[in-house]
Amino acid sequence: MRTYEHIYLTFIAMVIAIIIALPLGIYFARTRLVKLTSTVMGAVAVIQTVPSLALIAFIVVIFAVIALPTIGIVPALVALVLYALLPILRNTYTGIRQVDPSIIEVATGMGMKPRQILFSVELPLSLPVIMAGIRIATVWTIGIATLCGLIGAGGLGDLILKGLRSIRVDYLLAGTVPAAILALIFDWILGRLENWLTPAGMETTSPNK
Amino acid sequence: MITFDKVSKTFPGGVQAVRELSMEVADDETLVLLGTSGCGKTTTLKIINRLIEPTFGHILINGKDIMEQDPIQLRRRIGYAIQEIGLFPHMTVGENIAVVPGLLKWSREKIEERIDGLLNMVGLEPDHFRDRFPAQLSGGQRQRIGVARALAADPPTVLMDEPFGALDPITREQLQNELIELQSEIKKTIIFVTHDIFEAVKVGDRIALLDAGVLQQLATPSELVENPANEFVDQFLGKHRFQLSLLTKTIKMVIYKSSPDVSTLSPEPPDSGLSARSSLIEALDMFKNTSRKALPVYDGKRFLGNLEKRELLQVITQVLEDTGGSS
Repeated sequence: MRTYEHIYLTFIAMVIAIIIALPLGIYFARTRLVKLTSTVMGAVAVIQTVPSLALIAFIVVIFAVIALPTIGIVPALVALVLYALLPILRNTYTGIRQVDPSIIEVATGMGMKPRQILFSVELPLSLPVIMAGIRIATVWTIGIATLCGLIGAGGLGDLILKGLRSIRVDYLLAGTVPAAILALIFDWILGRLENWLTPAGMETTSPNK
Repeated sequence: MITFDKVSKTFPGGVQAVRELSMEVADDETLVLLGTSGCGKTTTLKIINRLIEPTFGHILINGKDIMEQDPIQLRRRIGYAIQEIGLFPHMTVGENIAVVPGLLKWSREKIEERIDGLLNMVGLEPDHFRDRFPAQLSGGQRQRIGVARALAADPPTVLMDEPFGALDPITREQLQNELIELQSEIKKTIIFVTHDIFEAVKVGDRIALLDAGVLQQLATPSELVENPANEFVDQFLGKHRFQLSLLTKTIKMVIYKSSPDVSTLSPEPPDSGLSARSSLIEALDMFKNTSRKALPVYDGKRFLGNLEKRELLQVITQVLEDTGGSS
């Protein structure tokens, strides 16, 4: 079913994006190489500004040149991952940077190793912000994934396109409504996850569900 | 014993924060690093646990050079409490205290015992506070936890960087008093940074007064107030000399310069009298709370004689004249 394809596409894209963006965000937050950080973050931000349709087209063209499949899941995933990168990267970076420096100082002064500080202090404290980034990225990805119907990646986009081509409202609805519902459901699920992961002592800082 | 041997720190950009600091800190002593902003006191403190690396010179803790030790291991054996307190907001009070013992791989029971013991020591009911979060505590309670956390692994040395600076004056005074009581109960070498001379004379066994990275004087509080080593110290004392004298001179110093050889039978138990070691201000306070005209003075259990209120006031007036009067 198209919906499952859609979820599948979104899921894979998100996982890849997280695997890339999370460690990168952590690295940038802690490194002193300011130039590198701002260059990469800037580049990712620029990608964001390109309209998704255009980016997809662009990727198709590039893939054609380097002889990679231009339709189907692969180019779709590339586009989706690129878009999902920025919210996650930026939020991870900001989340870690906004941890009170005196807490880090005390942690270091007490004899915690940098890795211990990361996992025991920095990440738990930046979790709400990171999760917010992941939620945003997920909702966007579900939306952008609909465009991937254009390049034969399947999913709900396929239905929407059929509906547009043949001006059949039922197809259109069959495509857009589930997409919207999916976005809402995932946002809600991730919201619960965020709540569950937020350490009890921090509840005052994230009042939204 | 902590030995500073020509310790110096120059930051990139040329700022000389600490210049050839040499001194010795005795075991179980509370040494106060005193000075204005930028004098190098916090930098000096942070060099001890290698949060800042010295540019030159050595620090030896019990004979071992800190630069030859692994900084992480070094820090786990030195307690650290800061002005911003810095409790981990996502951990409970108990978990905060348990951090260093956990790093040192103490057993579960030992840690639990230690948490309760420390909470009692800082005057917070364990059952009530152990599972609370820092956000639910007042500033004074938080810093008490901060101190408890610094003491958690029972380190022989504790570093405190203006620990009471962020608290309101009343809470600050309470915590100073609690610290003084704690000092008599636990045996630790404490290095305490402050810019407040009154805090320094209250809390310190000795004071190291710094200016622009250079040690100006290293002395006991009364010595510092009595005999300023140079013009800087003199100016630092400034118009507080009268008050400081009252705080640092003890009855023993000004009235009973030598104790009598014969110990007369004390007419009353020592608790109801004055300790010879109490400062002039404390003696005045005692008189304030009683209608009596004279109080017995004890050096430990030994009775030294009776101090008349009149006599005390005469001494204080003399100090007022000696220190130029203004305060």
